[in-house]
Amino acid sequence: MILGPDEARDFAAIAARIIPTTDTPGATEAGVIHFIDKAFAAEMSGQLDFARAGLAELNDALGSQHTDATQLGDLGEDEQDAFLQTRETTGFFNLMWAMTIFGFFSMEKYGGNRDQVGWELIGFEGGHGPWQYPFGYYDAQVHGETNDGG
Amino acid sequence: MADETTFDTREEVDFAIIGSGSAGGILAKELSTAGFSVVVLEQGPYRKAADFTHDELSILVRNELLGGGPEVHGQTFRHYENETAQLMTQQSPIRYSRGVGGSSVHFTANFWRLRPVDFKERSLLGSISGTNFADWPITYEELEPYYTKVDWEIGVSGAPGPFDAPRSKPFPMPPMPIKSSGVLLEKGAAALGLHAQAEPHAILSQPHNGRAGCVSCGYCMWYGCEAGAKSSTLAAMIPLAEASGNCEIRPDSTVIRIEINDKGKADQVVYLDINGVEQAQKAKAVVVSANGAETSRLLFMSANAQHPDGLANSSGYVGRNLMFNAHALSIGVYEHPLNDYKGVQVSRIVHDFYETDEKRGFYGGGGIDARPLFSATPIIHTMLGRDPNTPRWGKGFKDTMAHDFSRTLCFVGSTTSIALDSNNITLDPESKDAWGRPAIRATYMDHADDLAMAAFLEDRTAELHEAAGAEKSWRFGFHPTTGGEHLLGTCRMGDNPATSVVDSKHRSHDVPNLFICDGSSMVTSGRGQPTMTIMALAFRAADHIKTAANAGEI
Repeated sequence: MILGPDEARDFAAIAARIIPTTDTPGATEAGVIHFIDKAFAAEMSGQLDFARAGLAELNDALGSQHTDATQLGDLGEDEQDAFLQTRETTGFFNLMWAMTIFGFFSMEKYGGNRDQVGWELIGFEGGHGPWQYPFGYYDAQVHGETNDGG
Repeated sequence: MADETTFDTREEVDFAIIGSGSAGGILAKELSTAGFSVVVLEQGPYRKAADFTHDELSILVRNELLGGGPEVHGQTFRHYENETAQLMTQQSPIRYSRGVGGSSVHFTANFWRLRPVDFKERSLLGSISGTNFADWPITYEELEPYYTKVDWEIGVSGAPGPFDAPRSKPFPMPPMPIKSSGVLLEKGAAALGLHAQAEPHAILSQPHNGRAGCVSCGYCMWYGCEAGAKSSTLAAMIPLAEASGNCEIRPDSTVIRIEINDKGKADQVVYLDINGVEQAQKAKAVVVSANGAETSRLLFMSANAQHPDGLANSSGYVGRNLMFNAHALSIGVYEHPLNDYKGVQVSRIVHDFYETDEKRGFYGGGGIDARPLFSATPIIHTMLGRDPNTPRWGKGFKDTMAHDFSRTLCFVGSTTSIALDSNNITLDPESKDAWGRPAIRATYMDHADDLAMAAFLEDRTAELHEAAGAEKSWRFGFHPTTGGEHLLGTCRMGDNPATSVVDSKHRSHDVPNLFICDGSSMVTSGRGQPTMTIMALAFRAADHIKTAANAGEI
């Protein structure tokens, strides 16, 4: 772990609002924070200082808007969303957004997308090919009549 | 398998070929199997089919096959020559796969022939003021046997379409089966009175020449094919070159200079080996097939007292007339799942707008295809293929992703680009790449007619979604081109040494034993899928080079 417990909790909380847990798994269940931790330790290590500075700014803003909160996770979900909407044009939020997407949808070996929950959410079975025709609704109408489609 | 052939750098081989991609791989096979000794210098690594992965993060985010991004290549871009080119931080403007097989490894494999009209548009349509719009020095009829050679030796699947140029032999195998995106393009096209046809692919629809057919894994565009069904030169040509016993593929060899002797002939190629140590390969003749950007850079870097503006550049045409092909597209979401991420990208195309139509009021033509494009994999879908009018994060984002991903397709228009002096490759005066070479600087602003053609095709792609019954659709948003994968025109072929770099047989006008063959040879851009033509040119060039070599004329 390159991330300390407090910053890991904050990054995880942000990721969990970008892809929330609903009736289907979100960033938390996908283990996105493990992707983030591994990425900051390796390929994205050059971004770690920027991310830490961005998080410090975010927490300053949090403290001035919510005197009762020291971490994002102290707020209710709706309050977290409302607060993050005030931060969503920052470079830090954009970095967190990209890392959440990467962690949710990249191969499991990178630490996130556990049990391929990210792929399952959107109906992507990319880890399971190769495929037989037909692939979808519309080509099934054609392949029902001819075999080669040509 | 035969022992690997190797040559000592001090041993003069018949041919040093720089680049192992669409052109270099074919030239290596043709020349080595004809009995000539060949060393191929490839700047990238030697990946084999088993090295290719489905790893979207590595391929699309971390630029694995491109050998890294801007931090490695340092390329710069500007629209106009009076601007200072800027380092591109997100993505390199000039994109090609580095490795044995070159960009034929990661291409999408859409394989359109040019048509007779492409070679003589200047004569047919007249000049376009302020441009280098010109006829080719060869005709479709001269190139046709070599297109057929590509069909059969490289491996192209397809079926004849209503507007196709004449062919001397049928496709060697049927087209890839239709996908849902193709069915919807057919529906939209029929409603608009257009003609959808099967897409020709450099992907095997069935086993051919000892290679396996496509398994429809879906990872074609920007990925390498682990089944060997994609007809890269890595899969189709390099093994034959190596089996000849006359060819050494030397990967991780970054060429920095071609040297000219006191007789004015190229006699050795200087390169950095994998350890960064300078080496020099002696050769009787040199073939440059490094792609339209790298070929130009190398010729500039090889400037010497006899060739102060770059090798083979007495015309000043090296690097000029860069053509990217513009692309304009609309994205649509349909009622039922398409799962278009499975299988090859494209199964149907529309070529009704291929030829210039004076009624449109501008030069140009293009084709439209149906494909998942950005919706072939999740990360790129999120970044580029997602409905921009929906939330970027939170529950709304998640719900949209869950519904749209499997239902999304693109209609993509690809167009002509007009050759201009002001669109070019030069050496950046400041930026260097990781090997210390001057970085590639691209200067490019689409001609007004190119922009008009892209806008025209974008309108058609939007109409097609409506006609095909999309639940919703949006235009991706066309902007002037800021980079590309099609690197064309920068060492154009021609009969006049004042306005071209190589003759009609790919021999440079200025250096008698220097041949140049790749996308740079193209005089006009075609309609957006150039690799079929680059490969046909390479087969044709090889025939002429063999003839010249046998006659003692290199």
